Amino acid sequence: MTARDAAGDRGQPVSGGTVGRDAAGRAEPLIHVEDLWHTYMKGTPFAQTALRGVTVEIRAGEVVGIIGHTGSGKSTLMQYLNGLLRPARGRVRVAGHDLARPDVDIAAVRRFVGVVFQDPEDQVFEPLVGDDVAYGPRQLGCAPAELRERVRWGMDAVGLPFEAFKDRYTYTLSGGELRKTALAGVLAMRPQVLVLDEPTSGLDPGARRDLRERLQALRDRDGLTLVLVSHDMDEIARLSDRVYVLHAGAVVASGPPRDVFARADALAPYGLMPPHATQVCDRLRARGLAVRADALTIEEAGDAIAALLRGNR
Amino acid sequence: MNEFELLRNITIGQYLPTGSCLHRLDPRAKIVAAIFVVGAVTFTPSLVGNACLLVACLAIVWLGRIPLSYALRGLLPAVPLLVVLAVMQLLFFGRNYDPTSPVVFRWGWIVVTAAVLKLVVISAARFVELLLVTSVFTLSTKTTELTLGIESLLRPLRRLRVPAHELALVVTIAIRFVPTLALEAERLMKAQASRGGRLGASRWRLVTRVRQLLPILVPLFTFALRRGEELIVAMEARAYTGGEGRTSYTVLRSGPGDWAAVAAGALFLAAMLLAPFPV
Repeated sequence: MTARDAAGDRGQPVSGGTVGRDAAGRAEPLIHVEDLWHTYMKGTPFAQTALRGVTVEIRAGEVVGIIGHTGSGKSTLMQYLNGLLRPARGRVRVAGHDLARPDVDIAAVRRFVGVVFQDPEDQVFEPLVGDDVAYGPRQLGCAPAELRERVRWGMDAVGLPFEAFKDRYTYTLSGGELRKTALAGVLAMRPQVLVLDEPTSGLDPGARRDLRERLQALRDRDGLTLVLVSHDMDEIARLSDRVYVLHAGAVVASGPPRDVFARADALAPYGLMPPHATQVCDRLRARGLAVRADALTIEEAGDAIAALLRGNR
Repeated sequence: MNEFELLRNITIGQYLPTGSCLHRLDPRAKIVAAIFVVGAVTFTPSLVGNACLLVACLAIVWLGRIPLSYALRGLLPAVPLLVVLAVMQLLFFGRNYDPTSPVVFRWGWIVVTAAVLKLVVISAARFVELLLVTSVFTLSTKTTELTLGIESLLRPLRRLRVPAHELALVVTIAIRFVPTLALEAERLMKAQASRGGRLGASRWRLVTRVRQLLPILVPLFTFALRRGEELIVAMEARAYTGGEGRTSYTVLRSGPGDWAAVAAGALFLAAMLLAPFPV
């Protein structure tokens, strides 16, 4: 970094909240991906291009959904958000850090952005729940009191009461509890941005709703910025403020979920379907019934249909 | 720069379809010829001999039409090990290994003799040769071919109660699991790095590295055991009962070219064993 950059107005990545402003006076996005390309196994006969000029912005306090079919490049893109991959072509800025620079403080980037992989229960390795959640903060060199506080906060935030669970053996936990343990381990790093890959896959409907409510609370109560990577439209529609649709390594649509999902025919070529509620309303409209087109959740669709029935009576 | 792409560096266990003459060889002939070459590598204790072997290995890589840079890539992860090995040999062999050899270098208690120097060079050369041969072998042989080949070669030993089919299956599964485990290790490294784990801090600080590897190794073992169990269930579910009375989709047929490859391997081994290399 040049001295000007380092002392400049890009904001303190770890403390957060002091993000600079761009020319138009808007707050600079926390994460800014610009014209990003990625090729796997580059320089080998198995080379394969996974990202083709992707541009994505993630702003403070937003919930951003990234949707796409298997192989659309969404998991690859996700790995750029905390510097697991470094851009060879294109730019990725995370809280003022330019990931292309070899001298970038990658540890700071990974403290700022927490990433939870798909099926994170596999990454739990300590015998005791509390120790596993403490793994990350311990690497940071936290003092015992702060360590305990972080672990307590992380576990409480995911719904594993600290006192009851900290000394449990990880192998006695259920699948859902293990996933919460892994999630708590990332939260204990106190990231500003939380990226989750298919967070609810394989969970039963009850656990799914519980996790969704906890994610919402993390945003509303703790001010976390969330990025959800998923192919579950219902999930994304419920939680996101803005979505990006990825197909074959390129962003093919973006905007608020209501706008994106309202154009079902535009999504079809990418192998994606709008949320079920939106589809039901679409079909009703196709039969000439006047229901709203932009219902995203079952509740909204229910209200719309109820209103229609009341009107007919 | 990429700290996590492990699979890129693992050439063993991958198949690279270039359609070369090595790819078309009967796997049995290829196995026997490869064993001859490995034998030649193992039993050649001279510098000139190893130079010949290196040339032969490069020729094999060329015959397989495999990019040399790709075949050599498997060497990268082994470099620290090779360096440690060489340093150990230089430091500790001293006069114990061939006391008649002249001393080349002496500093304190460290004594390096000509024989030790030669040994260091030859160990490194052998490693490279073995890696090239095995890489080309696996890059040019599909796992199904390999299984069939091993099974067919071991069949005569069945009278001695050698479980030919089972052994072949064990080898296949072991090789098949290499890329799977590499991918899983990569995923775990990324996951642990994402929650603050510090990995690959330094290639050379071995003890620190091993301790840092625990968060990867523990889940990796669990994963391997779980995958193993899943495989058992999947095989049971498809009524797998072993080799008895089992027929195969591909039937191996060997032609003159295959016999020529075996003969070439045998000749090469004999030549390396008998040649009077000066050093």
